[in-house]
Amino acid sequence: MCSIYTNIYIACSVKNSSDSMSLLQPDNEIGMILQTLFSFAFIVYLFYAQRIQAMTMLRQIEMTLRKIKGLRDEGKTTAIETINEIGKPERDPTPMVERFMEHFMIEPVSMDPAGVVGKLGNILNVREFTFEKEVEAMAPNAEPSERNNIENLLEASLALNIFYKVIRHYYLLGKKTLNIYIIMQIHMILPLILQQIEAYSSALTAFSEGMPIGDGVGPIVAAKLLNGAETRDVAKEMVAGEIEYEGRRVIITKAKGPGGSVGKPGDAVTNLLNENKGNVTMLITVDAAGKLEGEQVGDIAEGVGAAIGGPGVEKYKIEQAATMHNIPMYAVAIKQGIEHVVAPLVEPLFEATDKAVSSVKGLILDYSKEGDTVIVAGIGNTVGVAQ
Amino acid sequence: MKRMSGETTPMAGGATQNWITLAAMIIVGALALVSLYMGFQAYGNEEIEIAFMYMIIGTSGFIAIGYAFFRPKPTSMDPLKTKKFDVITTLECPQCNLKRVRAFQKGDYIYKNDEPCTRCEGKMVITSIHTRKEEKKK
Repeated sequence: MCSIYTNIYIACSVKNSSDSMSLLQPDNEIGMILQTLFSFAFIVYLFYAQRIQAMTMLRQIEMTLRKIKGLRDEGKTTAIETINEIGKPERDPTPMVERFMEHFMIEPVSMDPAGVVGKLGNILNVREFTFEKEVEAMAPNAEPSERNNIENLLEASLALNIFYKVIRHYYLLGKKTLNIYIIMQIHMILPLILQQIEAYSSALTAFSEGMPIGDGVGPIVAAKLLNGAETRDVAKEMVAGEIEYEGRRVIITKAKGPGGSVGKPGDAVTNLLNENKGNVTMLITVDAAGKLEGEQVGDIAEGVGAAIGGPGVEKYKIEQAATMHNIPMYAVAIKQGIEHVVAPLVEPLFEATDKAVSSVKGLILDYSKEGDTVIVAGIGNTVGVAQ
Repeated sequence: MKRMSGETTPMAGGATQNWITLAAMIIVGALALVSLYMGFQAYGNEEIEIAFMYMIIGTSGFIAIGYAFFRPKPTSMDPLKTKKFDVITTLECPQCNLKRVRAFQKGDYIYKNDEPCTRCEGKMVITSIHTRKEEKKK
């Protein structure tokens, strides 16, 4: 028995040894195959590296595009469901929603820049008027504040549709031409675009439910300062109220809530300054501001100038009015990420509004004296925030 | 890469391509393993030049697999979905300062006179609406 095992072991050892010897020869078969394969891979990569890279990037864009299409469709469905639920229309709003999602705005020519803000303002007013009429037709039984929320919801869906169409355009163009530079353009900014798309998708929940959003910190600060004081309309979708703080007369203005609206803060500030014949010591604007990476959500910063975003028309009006009456402008910014701006308000941002209120009060005490008049404007979308 | 079925609808199957990638990685891995084995054998027989060549090939194969696994990807495979938010509404009674927190209900807004106070006869006012703080995973 033992001798049989010994014989097998010796036989195997001899066989293995001879196999190893043959494998180790540079001209053995497996070695040849390996060398050929790697040489082939090297040559293929030498000539087709860019094409392989382009195909890989196209595949990633395609995957993202599919996800964005899902969100775009979800946006449309949410809008239709909300209109049916709130507006109780007599006919199916789907064709109207689809038409709305294709709406566009042509910006005025800026070759001769004189008066371009007025032209842009005119176009924005027409756009706003058209949206209001469209929503009124879609949801005839909705309350004005609910109509504002539907309008915001439709705008979020419209934005998602534009994102989808632009990415699809570059994807198909890249695929058609297989030009790596066209493909790279969209591939490089995909993570940033995705951040914005995710933000808009969060807006769907906020606007369909009427929840306060990150951009609403300005109106919340204004509402906290008002603290239940009586308000009156001062411009389109803008209210103002007065309080007394440490002997100063403080006029506070914000968009009229609780429906989703940013109002016309430029007109409101201009009207308030004209009403007071320019006898205003300072103008403070409070708004949400984009944070840099590394900054904390809800950080407060104070500065000078008009803290207001958007296309620039309202900012222009505020600056014009303040310059005309020679009024210093102070700004309080509440820092937040792009993902917070139109998403439901997060706790650190709500807590930050108290800090911003203290900041505004500090500015009033530092830069005005008893008997002075101060204007405070809470800038932003007032969805879910009354006054 | 699969083709788009039309001008508007992306149709490529990401799952199929994952299988192809996985199969390619297995093949490269097997070849790299064989190459390394032969490299060690050659080294044992003091054929340093051949051993060096095989080891370079084997190592390159494993580096390629590692890169495929850990390369930075601009998009994740997870589908994008609308986030669900846990939003809470805080109500306060201005008369007796009773505070109550409940889940957000449609129609809630800040400074809304909402429901009667359970302690006194006053009306509770909504003082805050925000998402619940996410607890960090340990």
